[in-house]
Amino acid sequence: MLIFIVLAPFLLLLLYFIVQPQPVNIPIKGRHVFITGGSSGIGLALAHKAISEGARVSLLARSLSKLEEAKKSLHLAYGVDVGIFTADVRDYDAVKRAVVDAGPIDVLVVNHGIFVPQALEKQDLDEVKLMIDVNLMGSFNVIKAALPLMKVRKDNRPASIALMSSQAGQVGIYGYSAYSASKFGLRGLAEALQQELISDNIHISVIYPPDTETPGLEEERKIRPEMTNMIAGSGSVLKAEDVAKKTLDGIKSASFSISFKMEGQMLAIATAGASPQRSFFTAFLELLFSPLSRLITLLFLSNIYRSISKSHAN
Amino acid sequence: MVFFSLILLPFVLLLLYFIVRPRPVIIPIKNRHVFITGGSSGIGLALAHRAASEGARVSLLARSLKNLEEAKQSIRHSSGADVSIFSADVRYYDAVQKAVNDAGPIDILVINQGVFVPQELEKQGLDEVKFMLDVNLMGSFNVIKAALPLMKQRMDGLPASITLISSQAGQVGIYGYTAYSASKFGLRGLAEALQQEVIVDNIHVSVVFPPDTDTPGFKQENEVRPELTKILAASSGSMRADEVANKALVGIQSGSFIVPCNLEGHMLAMATAGLSPQRYFLMAFIEVILGGLLRLVALIFQWNWYRCIEQWHANNKGEFAIKELSISTPGPVYVCFIGPSSVLGRIEWSRI
Repeated sequence: MLIFIVLAPFLLLLLYFIVQPQPVNIPIKGRHVFITGGSSGIGLALAHKAISEGARVSLLARSLSKLEEAKKSLHLAYGVDVGIFTADVRDYDAVKRAVVDAGPIDVLVVNHGIFVPQALEKQDLDEVKLMIDVNLMGSFNVIKAALPLMKVRKDNRPASIALMSSQAGQVGIYGYSAYSASKFGLRGLAEALQQELISDNIHISVIYPPDTETPGLEEERKIRPEMTNMIAGSGSVLKAEDVAKKTLDGIKSASFSISFKMEGQMLAIATAGASPQRSFFTAFLELLFSPLSRLITLLFLSNIYRSISKSHAN
Repeated sequence: MVFFSLILLPFVLLLLYFIVRPRPVIIPIKNRHVFITGGSSGIGLALAHRAASEGARVSLLARSLKNLEEAKQSIRHSSGADVSIFSADVRYYDAVQKAVNDAGPIDILVINQGVFVPQELEKQGLDEVKFMLDVNLMGSFNVIKAALPLMKQRMDGLPASITLISSQAGQVGIYGYTAYSASKFGLRGLAEALQQEVIVDNIHVSVVFPPDTDTPGFKQENEVRPELTKILAASSGSMRADEVANKALVGIQSGSFIVPCNLEGHMLAMATAGLSPQRYFLMAFIEVILGGLLRLVALIFQWNWYRCIEQWHANNKGEFAIKELSISTPGPVYVCFIGPSSVLGRIEWSRI
């Protein structure tokens, strides 16, 4: 213990020098924030927050009527006009048109997503394909469409690509094989993409919300397998505006991983893996709490597997 | 204080002994049906050789009938065993289902097919991205879905295995691998969820994480690899296909969820243990104790990689340089870490 107390400042100093990429601040005010899946849920809440901080916002979604409602509600709240664009993220050409019409993007928030929980044995492969196509391939489409203009921005200031994942993108849970596959995939994409774009001053953030009060969650709850609920149903449910606030703060500080509440922080430490960490202090916490978090993880998993066998025995 | 921590350790060990789930399992290979996708070459073929020589009944699935027939002959030559061959593209569920039904109930399903085209996302064609996601990820769902019903109905009461061949690029995303890493990370999400769904059927999920492996696929990949990808990937060395197959089979037989293949792989596995299950309480103990240290090692790797990237850009483009906060780098050429495996490695391929 004493050794550790002596060691700690050296560790902190080491971390201060080695954390990569370097910390950066990404201004939002007066900049162009483009949000996919922006007509409802977390996307819409993000639009509210970004506008209230002085950003110019564009929304992309499939339904024109939902987009127009969103536009109206935002105009009512802030007296500001947002750009709205309809496209299905699976259709690259439509996405490209929307992105070009919207104009050069400073903060790209890839937030759209679909979730249909079901045990793989029972799930239709079309549903699996839908989740992978929309959540994962769709994100590639959006990034690819927006990247060229992002790379040639005039203003030299740091830009951001933020990917909305989920706690299901940190741990796979019963019923989420397809959803977790798509969300885990976003992380692989993000880790590689950050290495590719760091020299263009573009910074990647991956956001891991827990269950959030959105129309999407309501739909999901109706069809969730019982076992999924048993395992994952007891976590906290956050309000969309709280998720939006923490998300935007994380984007502004270019944090690679953005988590919520104590359980989220624990999950983040447990799954830090080989992901980059810009904050030397957070890195220190990751080191400090890594043993405890793996222990807690193993307890958590033990619980899950016991519940599963107990439930099966009944 | 130190004394206190030392007292604690045996209690942690004891705790882990009692709590780790799922429990350890031994999955026999001999006389059981091993079905390998992408089995006509590379790691799949090496696995087939090994499984056949251990007395398993082997089936191979791949696209090219010609490659399959060559594989069949080479296995007959080396171990006298007869393997069944089935030609299908994993992207087409009906073809996969037909092959799986023809092959008969599967005990050990090895999902090994994969394509890899490394390229900066900015330069990469979206059809290549789609190709990798479709074959590596969606294709794996197709195979599992086709094989699961019969696997669930096995009569013999012995434990079965669904094994996914991932990659170290499925543990950490590297420059040039946005699509490939996305597909391989996805396999892990699938695996963690699937294990919870099939544990009651005595089916055990394993994910194997090889480094660069000397295969025809890799030779193709190496030709188009961006320079930076080569530099960064060299941190982990490479292995021969038969070495990977040996490690994989040992991992499968012990029902290990995560199966690393070389020293760097073990370190990566511990750093990225995340929320993966661990059946062996001793391994669990090591993960708990060393977790912090390995996170530090991972951070050091990232530090090295980002410095390499910066240096490379400075040398090659001469323009944008990231503001440096730390000690100045000596000289114009920055040497990237090379792990012990690559120093001892037997595969020679040209590096920059």
